Amino acid sequence: MPNTREIRSRIKSVKNTRQITKAMELVAASKMKKAQQMALSGQPYAALLAEVLANVSGRIDNVEHPFLEEREVVKRGILLVTTDRGLCGPLNSNLFREVLKIKDSARFVSIGRKGSQFLSRNKLDLLADFSVPDNVPYLQIKQIVEFMVEKREAGEIDTIEVLYPRFVNTLIQEASFAKLLPILDLDEMINSLHAKGEAPYQPSNDERKFKFEPDPATILGKLLPLFVNREAHQAVLSARASEHSARMVAMKTAKDNAGNLLDALTLQFNKARQAAITQEILEIAAATANN
Amino acid sequence: MPIHLEIVTPEGKVYADDVDSVVVPTTTGEVGILPGHIPLLTELDGGAITVSKNGANEDLAVSAGFAQCVGDKVSILAEHAINAADIDEAEVAEAQKRAEEALKNSKEMSDEEIEMLESTVQYASIQRLLKAKKR
Repeated sequence: MPNTREIRSRIKSVKNTRQITKAMELVAASKMKKAQQMALSGQPYAALLAEVLANVSGRIDNVEHPFLEEREVVKRGILLVTTDRGLCGPLNSNLFREVLKIKDSARFVSIGRKGSQFLSRNKLDLLADFSVPDNVPYLQIKQIVEFMVEKREAGEIDTIEVLYPRFVNTLIQEASFAKLLPILDLDEMINSLHAKGEAPYQPSNDERKFKFEPDPATILGKLLPLFVNREAHQAVLSARASEHSARMVAMKTAKDNAGNLLDALTLQFNKARQAAITQEILEIAAATANN
Repeated sequence: MPIHLEIVTPEGKVYADDVDSVVVPTTTGEVGILPGHIPLLTELDGGAITVSKNGANEDLAVSAGFAQCVGDKVSILAEHAINAADIDEAEVAEAQKRAEEALKNSKEMSDEEIEMLESTVQYASIQRLLKAKKR
């Protein structure tokens, strides 16, 4: 049995750990609230935007736009959204597992330091990496998407997909793909963006031809880039909400574990102390009896 | 038969209700939408949306965006939208002043930043106009 001094120093270090994790939990919790708020309030916009496009895309003919054109996929373009810092549970490793599952040839653009490190460590094709501050400015995401669109137009990549930890709730984040380009099937994306409890999206049964003002080319020329930028922005917002939620949960678990360990150690310490006292009394008693 | 009007911005859903008719400002002029309108997709110009419901009119300020009408559902996507009753004039004036100040040293800014500031100024003046009309 270790002596009381050793146990006491362990108790001290576990207490410190508990204090640090507790502080980190509180920080993550306050950031989480803000990030969740931002992600949730952007959802209806992104969902409606996707709905508008879904309604239109089924009912236009003869409109050509590079975003709608389907071509053979040789290189996938994947935007990997990870965190800059660690200590957020399995969030990043879940994403990395998805990356390793990809068998087709792909090129990556990364947001977040962890993702860049992972991609270069695994010698995957990294086109560029960006760092995005915590408040996720729309303009910056727009620049990143435009960079990828340029690469697509140059033929270096054929699709644009986002791999990000989708925020479901504080306890659940799913690594998921959002296919941005080419725009083909939107139903799945719309449903994933709809808030819980809301009626799922149903295509309108209005079968009449669409009227465009001023004309289809102008409208789609503006609507499609807006759509892609906004969906990407929403994905990053969602990833941020996931990050802070995951970190808070991880830190809470760490704090609770430290507490449990502390209880066990305190018990052990008391036992050791009591054992020492008993021992001493026995020795004294034995000594007096011998006299 | 009412139409369902939905106004959504990146900050959240601003308006969702069944209304009798709605007038939206588009880049090619104002469009009035009544039940049974043909499917329409149009580009929205900054301005005032007039909603009429049970004989009463309501005004909302919107910035540029898109409007879609399918079936009996009108969806409006805009960068900003606010109900005329909720406009805080002092705050709007303040925001406009800040954006205009920032525009003055626009040399170091990217085109996108300038564009965003300009849209802020435009949206602010729309709100002030609408408020002035109310009085």
